[in-house]
Amino acid sequence: MKSLRPYTPPALRLLSSNIARSGNPLGLKKSECAAWASDLHLPSQGTTILYTGCEYQMTSYLRPLVEVLKRVKFKDTLFSTFSAGGKLGIGLMKAYTKVTSQESEQYNRILRMAALNLRKLGIDFAYLEEELYSGALLYEYGLFEDFEQQAKRVARQFEEAGVRKIIALSPHSAEAFQQIYPKFISTFDLEVVPYVCVVAEALNKRGLKLALPKALSLTIHDPCHLARSLKVTEEPRKILQSIANLDLRETALNRELTNCCGAPCDTVFPELSQIAATKRAEELAATGAQAAVTLCPFCHSHLRRGVELAGKKLEIVDFIEVLHQALEVGRA
Amino acid sequence: MPDAKQLFEQYYDALLRSAQDPDMALGLFRSVSAYRERKARALERFPHTVELAEEVRKLKRECLGRLDELVEKASASLKENGAQVYYASKAQDALKIIGQIVGSGKVVLSGKTLTGEELGLRQYLEGLSNEFWETDIAQFIQQLREEKPMHYVYPSLHVTREEVAKLLSKLLGREIPPDIPTEVRAIREFLRGKYFQADFGISGGNVVAADTGTIFLLESEGNIRMLTNVSPVHIALVGIEKVVPTIEDAFKVAEVTWRYAGFSVPLYVSLISGPSGTADIENTLVHGSSGPVELHVIFLDNGRSELAKDPILKEALTCIKCGSCLFECPIYQIAAGYYGGHAYFGGVGAILTAHVGGSLVEAAPIAYTCLKCGRCTELCPQQIDLSQLIPELRRRIANAAKSK
Repeated sequence: MKSLRPYTPPALRLLSSNIARSGNPLGLKKSECAAWASDLHLPSQGTTILYTGCEYQMTSYLRPLVEVLKRVKFKDTLFSTFSAGGKLGIGLMKAYTKVTSQESEQYNRILRMAALNLRKLGIDFAYLEEELYSGALLYEYGLFEDFEQQAKRVARQFEEAGVRKIIALSPHSAEAFQQIYPKFISTFDLEVVPYVCVVAEALNKRGLKLALPKALSLTIHDPCHLARSLKVTEEPRKILQSIANLDLRETALNRELTNCCGAPCDTVFPELSQIAATKRAEELAATGAQAAVTLCPFCHSHLRRGVELAGKKLEIVDFIEVLHQALEVGRA
Repeated sequence: MPDAKQLFEQYYDALLRSAQDPDMALGLFRSVSAYRERKARALERFPHTVELAEEVRKLKRECLGRLDELVEKASASLKENGAQVYYASKAQDALKIIGQIVGSGKVVLSGKTLTGEELGLRQYLEGLSNEFWETDIAQFIQQLREEKPMHYVYPSLHVTREEVAKLLSKLLGREIPPDIPTEVRAIREFLRGKYFQADFGISGGNVVAADTGTIFLLESEGNIRMLTNVSPVHIALVGIEKVVPTIEDAFKVAEVTWRYAGFSVPLYVSLISGPSGTADIENTLVHGSSGPVELHVIFLDNGRSELAKDPILKEALTCIKCGSCLFECPIYQIAAGYYGGHAYFGGVGAILTAHVGGSLVEAAPIAYTCLKCGRCTELCPQQIDLSQLIPELRRRIANAAKSK
């Protein structure tokens, strides 16, 4: 491993070898990825699936991983011994055990809400308990051969399960399935819809009245891939604006001109990435809103970091959580 | 081959040091805010620019397929106008040509040439015992700071007025206060003394018309106009991707460039097609009247013709260097030109660093810094789609290394 791709940052090689080994970048076990759904009794077969890609599940492990990477920097040797339980492997295991069940539960809660929201909106869907990560990162890192392999594995799994439509929970995976998969697998023709768009359509049909239990001022952080690659900017706004008791405020840099939270370079250049998060958190806080809503697990976790570093009083919430509350309080 | 660990560490150390420097943060913040206002005003006053940019986009893409033909035509036109024309395949060739023209012990003035940065021209000519001065105020500051440029249009955008005052006080041996008009006046006086001593004036070229051989030079300071006029010999160093078919095309490229660089109107646009000449005595043409006696034009390839053939990455060569992407990049706003190679910055800069005058290895840390967030593409007059280009560049970095 040491001699391969010496100019690809070691951190990326770690993530890609994890994907090859365990199906997701952080090497989480399948049981950890599927834990959120354990008591929901979701069908495991169906033409439409809710796809999480293990992304929300890994979010709470990102911070300890990055802390280890900060110490390791660009040293190659530690990575080469990772699989043999080298220093980094041990460091990582230690760091991972520091992730409290409370932290990982926080993201599992969001996932449960995502499913419950769909149920409430009358949408039928299944969840593949053994689902694999889309591999999007491999494409972004330029590891095209690895990406193609992973994409084929994922596509085969979808085919075997009879999937025809994917409700993609993160912009990251929606973009991968919609725009990148067809370039590598010419027969890949599944319908791919970002979660927020599925919700928008269902709300349109059902005419539900949404409300929050008490007044909340909220600004919106458009995730880059959602706003620019997928061109989804108005759906979340329309929904949020329809929620009673919610005061939606725009940041100066919004919609297709949204500013990146910095998460994409977190594993390679963590300190730099955190300065970017701090700056975006400051921009969001400048709206004077109580909270900022986003629609991507990586933005969510990284902006939380940014808010802490900026010393701002701004809650970062996921669209799924806001919708969940609004559906609870609202009525048909 | 440098060690990967060393390469990333050196790059990241420099980047972080600057990112954590409060003076630089202040300089960047002031510059970005001012740029946004200026560009908004410029586009409001000249709203047709957006459509014009689309036209230029098509034009520049078309030109990439016929660079050889265009350069040949431009060369013929320039020769016809009395200029001496050279084609430099590699950086070393260009330096050698310029070294032979200039010799040593001369006074050389330069006006913002990115190709000069690409070659390390100042260092080279100083090495031949020439006195070399940058005349663009930002580059002049950068020369005094002995650092690399930070931006195409505003190379010293990260330097505060306080820092400039310190540099000038040291250079001039008297106290210069941190007051921008006073600082500009002091630099003006210093450079005015140099213009009439100059043996050579070196410029780049924002765009070149093949049909007339006309080199377009955009500026506001008047330094380029001075040095290309007062110096007895004018040397223009131009990347081959700058050539467009007609002078009408060139005007379009020029207008889009200055507008997206944040200028409503550039105070000066010089159009230079040959050395000065007169036929006023017996209608007999003689070169060298009031302007330069000689014009030397060097077309620089240095990887460009190869890149122009690349099915994916060639798009980077349509960059007109307005620098709009840099101002609007979340990483550039933190790290300025440290997010870049020795001459080219940001995501597009990663591709140029890899294929034009640099190497895949030098480009590696830059390529992995790009967030691939796509904000630059939204604001780029050429719509250079980094979300496609960056993964492809990273693929090459991974694979090139693999075969070593």
